[in-house]
Amino acid sequence: MIQTHELRREFGGIKALAGVTLHVAEGERRAIIGPNGAGKTTLFNVLTGELEPTAGVVRLAGEDVTGRRPHELARRGVARMYQRNELFDRLPARDNVAISVAAAAGPYRPFRAPPASELAAADQLLERVGLGARGGVPARALSHGERRQLELAVALAQRPRLLLLDEPTAGMSPAETGRITQLIATLDRSLTLVIVEHDMAVVLRLAERITVLHEGRVIAEGTPAQVRGDTLVNEVYLGKVVA
Amino acid sequence: MKRFAAPAVALVVAALLVTFPIWSAPWESSRYATTILRDMLVLAILALSLDLLVGSAGMPSLGHAAYFGAGAYAAAIAGQRLGSDDLLLGLGAAILVSVVLALAIGVVAVRAAGIFFLMLTLAFAQLVFALAFQATDITGGSNGFSGVRRPMLFGLDFNGPDALFQLVAVVFLLVLLLLWRIRSSAYGRALVGLRENERRMRALGYDTTRLKLSAFVFAGAIAGVAGALQAYSIRFVSTNDVGVARSVEAFVSVLVGGASTLLGPVAGAIVVLFIERVLPSYVPYAETVLGLVFIVFVLAARQGIAGLVRVAYARVRS
Repeated sequence: MIQTHELRREFGGIKALAGVTLHVAEGERRAIIGPNGAGKTTLFNVLTGELEPTAGVVRLAGEDVTGRRPHELARRGVARMYQRNELFDRLPARDNVAISVAAAAGPYRPFRAPPASELAAADQLLERVGLGARGGVPARALSHGERRQLELAVALAQRPRLLLLDEPTAGMSPAETGRITQLIATLDRSLTLVIVEHDMAVVLRLAERITVLHEGRVIAEGTPAQVRGDTLVNEVYLGKVVA
Repeated sequence: MKRFAAPAVALVVAALLVTFPIWSAPWESSRYATTILRDMLVLAILALSLDLLVGSAGMPSLGHAAYFGAGAYAAAIAGQRLGSDDLLLGLGAAILVSVVLALAIGVVAVRAAGIFFLMLTLAFAQLVFALAFQATDITGGSNGFSGVRRPMLFGLDFNGPDALFQLVAVVFLLVLLLLWRIRSSAYGRALVGLRENERRMRALGYDTTRLKLSAFVFAGAIAGVAGALQAYSIRFVSTNDVGVARSVEAFVSVLVGGASTLLGPVAGAIVVLFIERVLPSYVPYAETVLGLVFIVFVLAARQGIAGLVRVAYARVRS
């Protein structure tokens, strides 16, 4: 589904990505872990087109999409749950999702009210992420956990083929974490998921394969068991977390 | 019953507005009031079109007079050169020229955001102003363009002041209706999405550059219509109509009235012109009052008149 080859991105002299080659198959659930500053969010920004890579290639379902702009990638089925919520703060939760649902039909419908089907689809998604009763509340008035749920609903409303989740459980209470993890785990199996997450319990629950990023490079990749047994990984990342 | 209450009230108000010259005729100052109200409606159309950018889409344009002036000159010049007083020709020319201008400026300007967008629109408008000022053989330059012919449509003659007022009032109501429709459409909601979070809009698959350009051009077209009405109203177009003062007048109308509302810009235009045109007859230093009013609204009532009304209404109901 998504493939990168020798992806590089530099900020000034700093190499945020120093040659990342990645291959995530269709329907796969992949976690990307690594210490802060490893390049995880930069990788996501390149995969969604928000940052252009300094060098390297990104392929989406076989098509070279390197340097494509975010809306072009979104239309090809890439959606993202941001680490720091990117919502329409002053709009009700329902409108946040409805704008996402409406993206497929495009904005150039100036003379008619949006069809009821779009609002119905939005309500259904809110229900699914556990915000069924909160549709009328402005996004900024929701609790942190609810805003994360809304963020997920907005991404799902795009009906993506590839969903990038940037720390979906960040800042959530254990109960909320459990709920959203369960929700993600039960998403349609045809959806390809790439998850950046620090909470290893969440990673182990969701991911089939794990890629470990360190200083802009892939230092290990494999099943959870393989990655856990990797001494280098233990040194740079897992070791620190466990200790 | 309640379902029909709001449309019924709107209909009555609209009818009262269009027939203003008739039922106000017994007043001693009816003619004067009609003139002032006409100019208020023209400014209201300009402010409404600007609010589509400032209020809905969050694009603070400080050069909106460029499209207003372009429309005014286009309607006046097309009428004279073609020797026609067809209203549709005049409005068509106004829309065409303001759309082309907004497209040319918008292509560059919408790539900037916030204060940079504001400065760019201002700079481009100054360019248009300089052009109007120096192209004396087309625009009349600093002497202005006089002798604008008042229009006709299907045998209806809008030459008389009352008929012209009614033309302005009807166009105003049509623009109001159009913008009301757009605000509740998928398009209007997408513009609000731009204002609230452009990054998210892009991530959802919206081509935000194109969306902003479309709003910029559409707002420019309506501003052009307002400009044409202004040219017909005072039968004269001057560089003031493309000047920064006109842009500011529209901007202040939006902010004082209340951005991102339908009636706010209208209320703002009425207040601004009332202070500029009526108050000086009664109060010394009336121009200063406008400045003070603006300061008060910026400091204490960011939501403008519309916001104050909303708060008052909520208080009365509870």
